[in-house]
Amino acid sequence: MIVAVVSPPGGGKTHWIHQQIAQTNEPVGYFSPKTDSVPIDAIYLQSEYPQLKLYKTGEEAALNNTTTYIEIPWHLDLEGIEPILQTFNPHRVAIIPGDTDNTELNAWADEVIPGNNITKADKALQIHRGVLTGEILDFDSLTTFWLELTQGAYGEVVRVKGIFDLVDGQICYGDFIPGESELDFKPLKLPRWLNGRPDRFSGFEIVGNNLDKGEIVLTVQDCCVPESAIHYYQQQVKESLESEPEVEVA
Amino acid sequence: MKIAVISCIHGNYAALDAVLLDIDQQKAEKIYCLGDLVGYGPYPNAVVEQIRSLDIPTVQGCWDEDVVEGLNACECSYPSLLAEKRGKIAHEWTNEKVNPEVREYLAQLPHTYKEDNLCFAHGSPSSNHEYLLPEMDAFTALERVLSSDADILFCGHTHVPYVRTLDSGQLQVRVNQPNKKEEPTVSFNTPLKRIINVGSVGEPRHGRPNATYVIYDTETEAVNLREVEYDYQATCAAIIDAGLPPIFAWRLARGLEFAEKADDPTHVCER
Repeated sequence: MIVAVVSPPGGGKTHWIHQQIAQTNEPVGYFSPKTDSVPIDAIYLQSEYPQLKLYKTGEEAALNNTTTYIEIPWHLDLEGIEPILQTFNPHRVAIIPGDTDNTELNAWADEVIPGNNITKADKALQIHRGVLTGEILDFDSLTTFWLELTQGAYGEVVRVKGIFDLVDGQICYGDFIPGESELDFKPLKLPRWLNGRPDRFSGFEIVGNNLDKGEIVLTVQDCCVPESAIHYYQQQVKESLESEPEVEVA
Repeated sequence: MKIAVISCIHGNYAALDAVLLDIDQQKAEKIYCLGDLVGYGPYPNAVVEQIRSLDIPTVQGCWDEDVVEGLNACECSYPSLLAEKRGKIAHEWTNEKVNPEVREYLAQLPHTYKEDNLCFAHGSPSSNHEYLLPEMDAFTALERVLSSDADILFCGHTHVPYVRTLDSGQLQVRVNQPNKKEEPTVSFNTPLKRIINVGSVGEPRHGRPNATYVIYDTETEAVNLREVEYDYQATCAAIIDAGLPPIFAWRLARGLEFAEKADDPTHVCER
């Protein structure tokens, strides 16, 4: 079965898919068109469910092999993606905020699910994406930047999500929806990376209005650990992990 | 006698002006200043000139020291890489702007100032980089006051005002000395002591942009934590006009710190 899921930004698509995967023991697949370069939701879901099969653009032909969720980004034109959807004849789920009447999504959907309350229309929104693969961030700097970002220092923000490699080798997922979440980072269930620059995706996606993209880029750069310090910090973390006392079970 | 104690002005002249007016209205007879006249804010020279012109007894803050001696605080003075980068930008800007006579004035400021049973320090009597946070363990806090040989220790540096009373009690100290088998034990009673953090005039960190300072009555020992509204938007505009990072203005308007807050508050920088 193929399930196509849409919602406005921050409506709760990934959260809903997460819930559906949790309720089944069957193999499940996931595909999000036009997000291959910034696959934040895909990586988050796969860290939660390692058996999840991820499909990339060009692999659509294989989708029918398993139960697969197609998460359609809010910024994609539904009419534009309709020819692809028609080849799968998916069950169409629209997650619509309780305080909005989205006629287009209502007409599109086979099933409507109440989503997170959001107040902004999506037509005038900007999207700013950044790929940070290879960069290691100082967590305290990241939380400072995140607080400033979500409180409007770099423009009005309606949605932020990101995946960040940290100095201690962990990789964390950050997620913000106004009114729905506080400062919120969650370590992903992936191995620590303590050997040089990480060779795995990290990056962020910001949705909002009047975003000061230049200042965002500069500030994120200031959060990154310089090349000269990466080895030093990673050695410290390794030594600290090696010296942690073993827990004895009686 | 009513005294006013101010601290951490950080080049914010509009905030200082409003606080001086409030002090006048409170009829305080004397003003003391706990340093950090400069750093982050757009008017370092004007602030110093005002403090000098009023002949306010002032101790040296960590920013005053760094402008005089060059930025050499160890990295633990900053809680993050981002804070460190912003602190360095502010330092370089301030260092470029301060007049020679201002630098000379900051250089001769003492680390502590004592008058009767009152001691005035920026961070603590040990270091103007040390943070005496309200949650600091009582023994360490008491040691800091005892080392000042005063009953009331006025400090700033954390930018969040508080009053902490350290009740009288008995302390027992055992000294472990090499080459001696016996460990001498000393017991003594401590009198009631107080730490009064006066907050910050120019860089509040309590979630609102208002300036804070303290009025203290030396006869009744009453402490009045004052919060004073001022035209913070004028300072925000001046920050941007001066070419300082606009994020400083954004944070000032929300009562957030600019950058500094050490991970380990009791760390004494061994520079």
